[in-house]
Formats: sequence, structure tokens, C-alpha cells
Amino acid sequence: MTFSLIGRCARTGRLGLGITTFSLAVGGRCEGVAANVGVCKTQAFPNRTNDPLGIKLMAEGYLPARVMEMFASNDTEHSYRQIAIMNRDGRIAAHTGPGCRGWAGHEEGTDCVAFGNGLVGPQVLDGMIKGFLSRPDDALEHRLMRAIEGGRDAGGQGTPDAHRPERSAAIKVVDRRDYPDVDVRVDVHPTAVAELRRVLEEFKLYEEFYRGRDTDPAKAIPQDVFVAQLKAKRA
Amino acid sequence: MTYTLLARCPLTGQVGIGIATYSICVGLYCNGLRGNTGAVMTQAFVNQSNNPLALKLLAQGFMPGHVLDELKANDPYSEYRQIAVIDRVGRIAAYSGPKNRGWAGHKVGEGYVAMGNVLAGEHVVDAMAKAYEAATKLPFERRLLAAIEAGRDAGGQAGNDGHLTERSAAVMVYGDYDHAELDLRVDLHETAVEELRRAFEEYELYRGYYKERSKNPKDAMPQFAFVETLAKKKEVAQ
Repeated sequence: MTFSLIGRCARTGRLGLGITTFSLAVGGRCEGVAANVGVCKTQAFPNRTNDPLGIKLMAEGYLPARVMEMFASNDTEHSYRQIAIMNRDGRIAAHTGPGCRGWAGHEEGTDCVAFGNGLVGPQVLDGMIKGFLSRPDDALEHRLMRAIEGGRDAGGQGTPDAHRPERSAAIKVVDRRDYPDVDVRVDVHPTAVAELRRVLEEFKLYEEFYRGRDTDPAKAIPQDVFVAQLKAKRA
Repeated sequence: MTYTLLARCPLTGQVGIGIATYSICVGLYCNGLRGNTGAVMTQAFVNQSNNPLALKLLAQGFMPGHVLDELKANDPYSEYRQIAVIDRVGRIAAYSGPKNRGWAGHKVGEGYVAMGNVLAGEHVVDAMAKAYEAATKLPFERRLLAAIEAGRDAGGQAGNDGHLTERSAAVMVYGDYDHAELDLRVDLHETAVEELRRAFEEYELYRGYYKERSKNPKDAMPQFAFVETLAKKKEVAQ
């Protein structure tokens, strides 16, 4: 049981993944987000070798649809996987194997694909896409955050009688560099989506400061001083 | 202000990192691990393009010493960086730039580097090294955790106004695969090392289940049923 959305910012070309699930530490299993290549995420009963392989195939020039065919022939348990792939142009391929448990499915929207399993119903995917599209001019990480929140608010995981909480969550966004622009995580938490919102908001306050320490360290103020300034601003 | 144990496991050949710092979301910067290639970490004033570049150089066959020279030659602010490089057989190069703030330094041992900056003193890296070396009987990831806990217990980070808390932490291990064997993070917490230990012990209970579920989905029990069996086991244990 998991719900995820792969999205692309048409304005900047940035790519990203927002994900939350009942399983622990899901962000540690999201290797398939590569700048200027694409995003590939395998979930439900994940095959961990899929995502790094998918990224390499897209980097070679294969389209998502062909990558998906290769996944199918490379994996005896393909029918238990749920997979979504998007390349840098926004082309999408998605697969929800019949072995996925509970309500499971995927749905494409403008610049995005939502997919999940063990969900209360298709309204969760609708909620994610609606959240993603609600403020299209915002930075991709904020759009992904709203997508996850939209899925949670539409009922999230479980059955109509038994809701399953989100215990881990993550957002990863790449731009043009070999390392992610944004990579925030909550690994073990009883309300992981709300906690991820808190981490993301906090991270955005530090983002420029951290970048400045990288590009112009001679001018960087000590971090405890920066934190004191943040506190003063809040008060 | 960060302390780190970067290592290659002599038994398994895995590479890994244990790290804790006052900065938030430190796991974001730990992108320098690759199985059968090596382990790289740049900290203090991070240059984020260093780790991916260094991994590519290691993969090409360059020695850690030369990789470190390249990173320095490629960066007008190299004196602000603290860097460790370990290759796939455990050869090491490390550097604590003169412009690192506070007490900063590194200690190189057999297959590992303990390093940190804005620390309470040299005894912090010594304690990390000692704990890592002493824990030879533990699995690799537990040795990494023991090292950062020892760093914390030795006083950890110290800014101008005294002790600085750990607000984020991470432990990561890469082995044979292109994906991580373990990648666990605490991004924003008041006592991040304790929280990482808690998350790790919890995640440990699930690791075998997650692995098996991927390999053999047909027979996997639903996760909430698995969680119930865990709860029962905990009850019995109490």
C-alpha cells in the first residue's frame, strides 16, 4: 500500500517524485530520479533492480513504453509490481500488475502520473492529481507535496472500514545537476505526510543558505547565527 | 559542524556512512556511495558536485589520492571543504581544509575515516574511530551507528556558544546492487542520533520482510498482518 505521483514542471523541465506509504523508510528505496533523464518508480511488491535499470535504459535513449516491456520480460514476478516511468519529455508508461493487493491503479494527468495500491479507491489518485494541478506555477516540490496531501485527504490507504496510516514519506526533485535539488524524507512517523510538510517548509528556509555555503563559503555566516536570525524573524 | 564515519567493510566489501550534524536534511548530501566503486563524502562547506564527480573518477580507475587532488584543483573554495575518499579495496585519502571552522580534523584507520568540523575537540573523532574499531563483531551498519553514537557521547559539535545539537543524521550502506542496502535518515529532529537509533531498530524488524516480499510476492503476508505479529512478539518479550 503506497500512493505516489511522478511530476514534471513544464516551465523548468525539473522532474520529481512524491511518495507516501505504510511501509517504513520509503525514501530509501527511491533511486530512480535522474536529472535530464527521467523518473522510474517500482512499488507494491517492488523489484529494487528495476529503477536503476530503468534510468540507465532511458539514458541510452529508450522510451518509457519500451523500458516497461523490458521490465516485463526481465522479471518473473512482473505481475506483482506497480511501476510508473516518465522521461524528461514527459512521456509516461505505467503498469499496475494484477497481483497488487487492495484497490490499485494508475492515472495520468497534465505533466504527471499518479499510482497507488492498497488504497481506499480511485478517488485517492484523483485527489493527488487535483493537488498537483491546483497551483501549477509553484515550484515542483510544493506541487508534489500538495499531491501527497491530496491523496491523504481523499482517504489514502486501507479499505473503507480500516484506514492505514502513512508511516513514511519523501519528495525528491532534480533539475540539471548530478545531485537532487530537493530530497526530504520522513522514515518512521505516525503521521508522515504532516511531518513531511513540516520538514519541507523548514528545508525551504535553509535552502539558499546551504547553497551559499557551497558556492561562496567565504561569505557564509555560521549556521548557529543563521538559526538565531530565523528565530528572530519568526518572533 | 558535522561528524562522520565513512568506511568500507573488510568482510563484505560494502561501503557505508554514518553521519550526524546540526544542519537539517543531511542525508540529501550523502550521494557519494556506490557498490564496487567506493565511498566519498564532502562536508563542512559542502560542494555538492564533488561526490558524484569523485565516484565517476573512482569508477574510471583513479586512486583516492588523485581523486582528492582533482576535487581540490576543480574548486576555488577547496580550502573550505572537508573530504574523504575510499575506493573499492579500502584505500583512503582525506582532507580537512584550513578554512573549516571550529575544531576540524580527520583520523584515518584501516578501511575507514572518522572526520568532523566545529567539534568539541579531537577526542570526538578519536571516540568515533575507537567505537568503530571495537565493534568488529557487529554487522557493518551497526558499527557505523556505534561510531556516531560515540561521537555524540564524546561531546559532538561545539559552536561559539557551546554545544550544538544533532538535528539530522543518516546511516547508509551500499553492497552488490545499484540500489542501497540500507538508507535510513532523520531529517529534522531535536535529538537526531537517538531518533536514528530508534528508526533503525524499528526498520530492522521489517528489513527481512521487505526483501522477501519483493522476491516472492505470491506468498507474502499483508503488511498490517506482519505488523500485528510484531506487536504480539513485543508483548511476549515484555
